[in-house]
Amino acid sequence: MRRSYKKLWVITTTLFISLLLLSLTFAIKQSMVDEISANSKELLGGDILIDSGVSPLDEVVIDKLSSLGTVSSTVNFFTMLSGQPGSSVFVDMRAADSQYPLYGELKTVPPSAIDSVLNRSDNPGILINENIKSQLSLQVGQEVTVMNTKFIVAGVISSVPDLARSAVFGEFAIISKKEFDGFDLRSENSFLHHEYRLKISKEQFEQKNQEAISMFTDDDKVRVKLPKDSTESLRRIIDNFSNFLNLVSVSAMIIAGIGISNTMLSFINQRSVSVAIKKSLGFSSRVIKFIYFYEILLILFVTSVLAYCIGVMSPLIANFMIPEMLGITLQPSFSLINYLNIAFIGLLIVLIFSIPSLYSINSIRAMSLFRNTFLPVNLHFSTRNIVYLVLLTAILVAYFVFQTRHQTITLSYFLAFFASLVIFYLVASALIATLKRFKGFNSNSYKIAYRNIVSKKSLAPIITISLGVGLTLLLTLSLVANNLKREIAENIPAKAPDLFFVSINKEEKGDLEEFIRGIDSEAILDFNPMISASFVALNSVPIESLVSEGNPSRWAIRGDRRISWLKQPKDNSPMVEGDWWESGDTDNLHISFDSSVASDIGIRIGDKVTLNILGREVEGTVRNFRKVEYRSLGTNFAIIINDAYASKLPYEYIGTLKSSLDTNKIQSQIINKFPNVSAIKIDRIISKVSEIINKIFFAVSAISAVVIVIGLIVVVSAILVQANLRKYNNLIYKILGVGFATIVKAMTIEFMLIYLSLIAFSISVAAIASHYVVENIFQFDWVFDINLSLMVVASTGIVTFLLILFANKNMFSPAVYPLIRNE
Amino acid sequence: MSGESIKFQNISLVYGSDTNTTEVLKGIDFSINENEIVSVVGPSGSGKTSIIMLAAGLEKSTSGSIFIHNQDITGLTESELSLIRRRHIGIVFQSFYLIPNLTAKENVMLSLEANKKYNMDDEAESLLENFGLGHRLDHLPSELSGGEQQRVAIARSLINKPTIILADEPTGNLDEENSQHMIDLLFNYTRGNKTSLVLVTHDGDIAKQCDRIIEIRDGKIA
Repeated sequence: MRRSYKKLWVITTTLFISLLLLSLTFAIKQSMVDEISANSKELLGGDILIDSGVSPLDEVVIDKLSSLGTVSSTVNFFTMLSGQPGSSVFVDMRAADSQYPLYGELKTVPPSAIDSVLNRSDNPGILINENIKSQLSLQVGQEVTVMNTKFIVAGVISSVPDLARSAVFGEFAIISKKEFDGFDLRSENSFLHHEYRLKISKEQFEQKNQEAISMFTDDDKVRVKLPKDSTESLRRIIDNFSNFLNLVSVSAMIIAGIGISNTMLSFINQRSVSVAIKKSLGFSSRVIKFIYFYEILLILFVTSVLAYCIGVMSPLIANFMIPEMLGITLQPSFSLINYLNIAFIGLLIVLIFSIPSLYSINSIRAMSLFRNTFLPVNLHFSTRNIVYLVLLTAILVAYFVFQTRHQTITLSYFLAFFASLVIFYLVASALIATLKRFKGFNSNSYKIAYRNIVSKKSLAPIITISLGVGLTLLLTLSLVANNLKREIAENIPAKAPDLFFVSINKEEKGDLEEFIRGIDSEAILDFNPMISASFVALNSVPIESLVSEGNPSRWAIRGDRRISWLKQPKDNSPMVEGDWWESGDTDNLHISFDSSVASDIGIRIGDKVTLNILGREVEGTVRNFRKVEYRSLGTNFAIIINDAYASKLPYEYIGTLKSSLDTNKIQSQIINKFPNVSAIKIDRIISKVSEIINKIFFAVSAISAVVIVIGLIVVVSAILVQANLRKYNNLIYKILGVGFATIVKAMTIEFMLIYLSLIAFSISVAAIASHYVVENIFQFDWVFDINLSLMVVASTGIVTFLLILFANKNMFSPAVYPLIRNE
Repeated sequence: MSGESIKFQNISLVYGSDTNTTEVLKGIDFSINENEIVSVVGPSGSGKTSIIMLAAGLEKSTSGSIFIHNQDITGLTESELSLIRRRHIGIVFQSFYLIPNLTAKENVMLSLEANKKYNMDDEAESLLENFGLGHRLDHLPSELSGGEQQRVAIARSLINKPTIILADEPTGNLDEENSQHMIDLLFNYTRGNKTSLVLVTHDGDIAKQCDRIIEIRDGKIA
């Protein structure tokens, strides 16, 4: 048995690596889910969160809430924060009262800073995060300006309990609610967001909890969130990423399966005498198959237990990679169900790939012992086997498809993956058929390479499939990443404005416009009125019940959205269906929708849509659809209403500026002159997005490289299981006078022929897949980057070839003596 | 009198490490002339096969010199030795050593291709037909009998018209009738092409048919 395992190292290694990846995915996902479930109150910031949007709650309502427990109110808004003259950033600001936070801990440096900001009434203080500190080169004690008010930096935020994303990735600051009240911002400011958190004492918790919820049951202006809702978006992110990792893991396992199949077959061929002897002693093929299968099962058991144990401990390492600001600490979490899931997937893969090999035992006959004529056996595909394989594969695919909310994508992935396996098998077959027709060059090296490729034991199919799939995956990801980077780094900045303006009062708009014209008369300015509204119902049916979580346009109905109004359609969002409204109808609400949003949600011309505009529900008629171009990053709206109706609403402006002059200077002049206007530089946002995308794609590519690593192990193992045959052949060549250099050259030609045929298809499949992803999912223009493709192909090829050389190192010039001595 | 095809001059061959060595050949001297058929006999482990390997340049002697057609091969590189084998030497083994995934004809052509003679199917077919294998040209070794496999192996060693044939117990795995048939093939070729044949054998009757017998005992010529 021990000797068997030495021979089966490739099964052990590849199974272990792919099971480890799967275990890491399961274990980290489990720990994250446990962590966010255990901390759901901290993540929400209370037992209940009441989100009243742009308007604050009535004092009466707040008093009633206070009778049920402790209430903390916060207002979130975006504004400019200025440090030294000329240096400012656009920040996500939170104004909090002295009760904040109700759960968890807001950590600052120095620790007393929170108290000095939220509880003292002397100099106004502000807490900033590390990003603001480094961008504006600020120190504790220095002065900053927000909304024309001076603040002293009291401390730097280390972590927030309720996971404000800007705290980690963007610019985030906290001031006291009292200071915010001093700003005297009006409720129509669309960037205001009022939230109230309630902490209920343990006594009569359920009753008070229900009472608090019921206070807002019939109030459409207010959204109530419970701790379980606070983790919804996090769970969605975790689910999506773990689904991706699961697919990569199963791809790696399928490639490992090819190695399992190949190794098993070679293992059985090496033991053909032993099998024949067992048959001659009365063992049935079935019993012998089970003996070998139990060995594989034992390997599966050991590798899966080991992989899962390592996986369970992995959250401890993952903690080092999680930003401290998130305040999350993962704990190892053992789950028998998770282990059984992993072992089940492993079992399916092992069954699928060992059945054709194990059934080859049927072809070994005891009578071969009499003539000592053992012909190598091949994979056995009987009708029954094929039925088994189809059934097991269907179970494997169904297992993954039914566990995800992205069922179509997962099913498409599997179909594409299996199609790739077939394509690469056909590529190898086509190469062999072509070479057989074209016997080609009069060169010893070529002849040897040719014979190796066209022989029955050719490595071409296994190299082509196992390397082809991994290379295609890596190429696809590289091409998608490159197209996204190009779009973000080149195309978007070329079309996008240089500055965004938000929170422009309608009284201020004219002055601002005039001021900018004074700086640059050629500047392209675009100002649009804007108010906050939410989508309540479609034809009187609550919209939440009509649009599923997976709907690509769900964003358009989630929470408050900014809407605008127009007299005529704009050039960058032309009308594609319906008719424009008549001017002057101040009594009726007419609505125009982004055509893709309308299509996703199922809105038709003439439908009745209920919007909540500044706390009042209004029903309007859908009049037309527009094709909205968001990629330019100009000001665009999914929902537009008729200008006449909007004229009676309080509103503010949002604007953009494109100028050939120095944007920094324009920004600083505007901020000095109009301290309440937020002017945001687009290049800062783009570089931030670009940075995040780079990190994500690096991580994704690194994880996907596991498929290539498994592929390489399978290729090397395929070479090693043929070691004796190759060594024997090379020895005969040596005896016939073929030198070492010729054999190395032959191996190079063999690899080149296989790899060249493979890369053409790899690049083609990757180009098609990346084109689909970029054009249909991201909706960007796809461009094929030949240099990038060649770089990926060349680096993979070089690594593979060096590994093949290494695996063959003992086979190039074998010693003659052992062969002649029959050793 | 013709010249010498092979000459061994004070050849020693030692295997193993410093502490555990086996002295296979102990300073042997002999030469084999062109057109001469010589049998090398001796008990198992006496060093007969080592002589074949040294003469073929597949093994390096510990000391002494080996001459092939008056060229000292003891200091030659791997590729120079490959060239000597391609030009002058044909080797026949007891266990045939055919490439299992090549047909009989392809196995023979392999030897031609090693000598950069391509697309000479006719020559390989003709030789195999002469050896009575015309009906087995496209058969794999596993589809041939032992005698047929050995005939393919001999055809492979002769197709390049070597001037020296080194045969290591070529009849060891064959029955009496097949054995004599193989010997006849080798002797006829050697006589007809003015070639030297070194034949390692345990079979006294076959040894007696040779021009000369070299007997090896304990690494020395007896």
